[in-house]
Order: sequence, then C-alpha cells, then structure tokens
Amino acid sequence: MGALSLKNLTIHYGRQPVVADFDLDIRDGEMVSLLGPSGAGKTTILKVVAGLLAPTRGAILIDGQAVTDLPPEKRDAVMIFQKPLLFPFMNVQQNIAFGLKMRGDSGDRRARAVAHILALTRLDGLGRRKVHELSGGQQQRVALARALVLEPAILLMDEPLSNLDANLRQEMRELILGIQSELGITTLFVTHDQAEALMMSQRVALLLEGRLRQVGSPRELYHRPADPDVARFFGGDNFIQGRMRDGVFETDFGPFPVEAVSGNGHRRTATIRPEDIQLVTDTGDQPDHLPGTVKRTRFEGMATRAWVSCPSGELVVLTPRSGLSAGQAVQLRLPPEKIRIFPD
Amino acid sequence: MRALGTRLLAPAILVAVGLPFATLGVWSLAERWFFPDLWPQAWGLRAWRYVFATAGGQVAAALVQSVAVATATSLVSVVVALPAARALGLYDFRGKDTISVLLTLPVIVPPLSVAMGLHLWFIRLGLAETFVGVVAVHLTFCLPYAVFVLWGVFSNYNPDFESQARSLGASQLRVWRQVMLPMVMPGLIVAGLFAFLLSWSQYLSTLIIGGGRLTTLPVLLFALMGSGDRPVAAAVSIVFVLPAFVALLFSARHLGGQSLAGVR
Repeated sequence: MGALSLKNLTIHYGRQPVVADFDLDIRDGEMVSLLGPSGAGKTTILKVVAGLLAPTRGAILIDGQAVTDLPPEKRDAVMIFQKPLLFPFMNVQQNIAFGLKMRGDSGDRRARAVAHILALTRLDGLGRRKVHELSGGQQQRVALARALVLEPAILLMDEPLSNLDANLRQEMRELILGIQSELGITTLFVTHDQAEALMMSQRVALLLEGRLRQVGSPRELYHRPADPDVARFFGGDNFIQGRMRDGVFETDFGPFPVEAVSGNGHRRTATIRPEDIQLVTDTGDQPDHLPGTVKRTRFEGMATRAWVSCPSGELVVLTPRSGLSAGQAVQLRLPPEKIRIFPD
Repeated sequence: MRALGTRLLAPAILVAVGLPFATLGVWSLAERWFFPDLWPQAWGLRAWRYVFATAGGQVAAALVQSVAVATATSLVSVVVALPAARALGLYDFRGKDTISVLLTLPVIVPPLSVAMGLHLWFIRLGLAETFVGVVAVHLTFCLPYAVFVLWGVFSNYNPDFESQARSLGASQLRVWRQVMLPMVMPGLIVAGLFAFLLSWSQYLSTLIIGGGRLTTLPVLLFALMGSGDRPVAAAVSIVFVLPAFVALLFSARHLGGQSLAGVR
C-alpha cells in the first residue's frame, strides 16, 4: 500500500537550483514514468524521495504521512539504481537478503522470502552464484529482486534498463511490468527514453530543465502536448504559426477549421505529428493539398522520414510509402483534426 | 620467442630475489671465509647457536619489540588513514593539492632530519625513549603511505553502493561496517602491510627517538654488525627478514589488485 505525494519540491545542488516547485501525486499501485533528457533533474528527484538527498523546500508524503525528515532506512521507499550495485563480497541470495537482514527478519523468513522472489524474477537456481558470474541482465534482475523482496510501499527505479542491450531491455521491461502489476507496487520510474515511458507507465510526467511541464496518460502527452517543448521532446518537429479568426486557424499552410472558438484574433502556434501528415505522389491538382518537394529522406524501418519543402515552409513527414527520392514533387494533406493548437 | 622469454622469466626472478638471500644463508653457516675464496673454508652453526642460545634472549626481546611497534604503527596508520583517504578520494575540496604535498614531505625528507627534528620536541613532550614516541615517529613515514594506498582505493570506490544500502534499510553505521569495510578490505590489508613493513625496517628513527632503550630488530642487527661478526649478522638478518616475508605471503593474494578491481 502506498500513495506518493510530492509537494512543491525545490532542490539545490550547492547554490545551483536543480528542480523547482515540483508537484506530483501518484496513486496507490500506479506506475508513473518521470521522463526527461539527461540533466533534467530526474535522478535528483528520485534520490530526494528515497531520502538520499534533502530538498531545499517542499514535502514528501507516503500515504499522507510526511517522510521528508526521515532518513532513507526509515522510509518505506526503495531505490534501484542505474547500475545493479550488487555487493561484490556477497553471493546472489545474500545480496537479496541484505534488506531483510537489516530489518531483522529471522533466517527462516529470509530464506523463504528469497526463494519466492528468486522464482518471481526468474533467477531460480542462481542463489549461490557469485555476483561477477552473472550476466548484465541477471545482475539487474538481482537488483530488482533485492528491492522487491522488501515489499516496499514505493519502488523508485532510476533507468534500470539503460545498461542493457535492446533485446534484453525488452525482456526486462516485460518482467518489470508483470511483477509491478502482480504485486501492485506504487512505482516511480525514471527514464530518458520517451518510447519506454509511453510503454511502461500509466502516466508520464515530463521534466524539462528541472520543471514539470506536463503530467498525463501516455496518449495525452503524445497527442495533446501542452506546449511546443513537450511536442518537440516527443519528436513533433512541425510547428505552424497562425492566427485565430472566427473558428478558423489561419496559417500560411491554409485555413484549418477548429472546434473551440477562443482567443479570436490572437496569434497561436500549432503542431502536427510527422505521421499524421498524409503524403501523396500524384501530381494532379487536388483540393486542400499542399504542393511540395522532397528535400531528403531517411529510411527508418517501418516508415520513411521525409523533409518536404513547401512554399510556406518545411514540414517533416513520416510515411509508410517507400521509394521516395530527393527532388521528387509530392502533395501533402494536413488533416484539420490532427492539428494541435497550443493554448496561449 | 615469447615462449622463451616466458620460460626465462621465472628463473630470472628467482635468481634476482634468491641470490642475496642465498648469500645470507651461506654467510650464516660460514665458520671461516676469507677474501679471495668464493666459498667458505669451514662450515658451522656457530652463528645460529649465537643467535638462538648466547644472544637468544636479546633476539627474542628485539623480535617482540619489533612486532609490537610495527603492529601498533600499522593499526594506527590504517585507522587514521581510512577516513582521511575516504575524504580525499571521494570529495573535491580546496587545499587537496596542498594536503597531497604535505603528505609526501615526510617521505621525501631524509628520515635522519625528521627524527633529529622531532627528537627535541619529543624530549619536551616526554615521548623520547618511549614506545609511544617510537610509534609516533614511525607514523610520520608509515601514515602517508597508508593514506596514499587507500586514497587510490577510494578514487575507484563508488559511493552509490552506500546509498543503495541505505535505501535497502541499513543505518549509516551498518553501512560503514557491513558495506564499506568489506569493499575496501583488500586495500586496507595492503595499506596495513605497507605500514607494517615500513615500520619493521625503520632503523635511524628508532635509534634516535628510542635512544637505545627500545631495541627493535634492526637496532640489534646494526649493533651485531658493528662488531664485525658477519656470520652472526647474516643469521640475524634472516631472523629479521623472515617475519616480514611471512606477512607478505599471508597477504599476497590481496596485492594483485584483482580483488581491488571489484570495488567499482
């Protein structure tokens, strides 16, 4: 059981502000990703929640109880670091039992809990292995087991997948998701990988330069970014300037009818995701299509990314169409329902 | 070519290390051995009888004294060096370079100057000719070495291990005892061994500060050598080298650096 509440956290390193006025509420059993580029202050927030760093201001509440002034060992929150950090002088089961031993559990209880968690993390039979005999993925699983065995109210994970290769990462991701939903541990998961954040969590909190920019479901952040920076972080490279007039967003790329009539006469910025732009290679004149020329292309596996130069500006398009080449004349359609106009 | 080199390496090391010891062994068993001859004219156990019987009490007392001084010096060195090296290895602070230079000073200044300079102070402080005084003067040489060894250990030490242990429910005290100590133990043993061996072989400083009242093995050895009896000096030398050699063998597995590498 554990709901986590971070209230107005401000954190300094020396005199340097790292995180400012950070608010986040995580429901019991929820998995939330804390997403942001490196240096945004994600790990710092995690360390503050774990009690390894003190915030300058603000409060941390677990199930409504303030734990801000408690030392890390007294908090029901366990952190898993980027590196497995397995104690080299202990074998696997000693590593996993470390926290139980600190808590004063009897040898019997420790043995039972360790055996259970070994099975859960698919480490059966590896209990007596030395740490350096394990592969990277196994080490990370032991680190996970060592935290899970304590059944903490809050699990804090600091990019636990970033040291693994792509295939292993996928496997580990599934394992974490499975265990998290099975045990229902409230989890704050730090990552710099937007795809991972979208896949792993029920909600995503985006942190840019120490400030929380948007919290919401993965779909919300992806399709309804709060501002251009959020859109840019999720790979939305197309920004369109325009003016609102009588239910229409007027731009150089043409007028777009919009539902909400607000801010009449105001200048606004809008974005459209590269995969939402429709690209056709027919040269015949079609209504509400923009003519353009392909400047360059990049093959990305499932799709091709094309930089298309239009009379009114350049747009990035992600299209399943293959066989595009530089210099080719194309036409683009920007579906009005896919245009996201940022609030002022 | 490389195979030949590898095959020659072990004998080469054996000769380089073994020859001086072999000479000591031969000398200790020589009854008569004069200049042009490459081999003693007469063999005998006179020197060993002298060491174990005639001067047996003296040698045993000196041995005990040496072990006591070196053990005390080594323990104090490690206990003081551990927190110092931790701070030097893990944190950046002003004056770190100055500390590094100050630490090397006793190592580069001749021991004679250090001991002579300290002697006057030690007389005033009542430390001259005492066990504590001798340990203190040995510390001026041994402590810097211990700090340097452990400084290196802590430069490769990842303090995140301690954060991880805290987060798993260990108090600060238990983190130090159950995580930090085992992690740096190989380095601690090496540092302690260095300090022990350095203290073990101190002669001048022991002589000056101890004033002849604290007779460690080197002091006794020099006294015996001064009398010009080379077989006896050789036998005492062997007695002197053996305990240090045993200590070295005991901790050899920690010297390889392999166990140190596990720190990160």
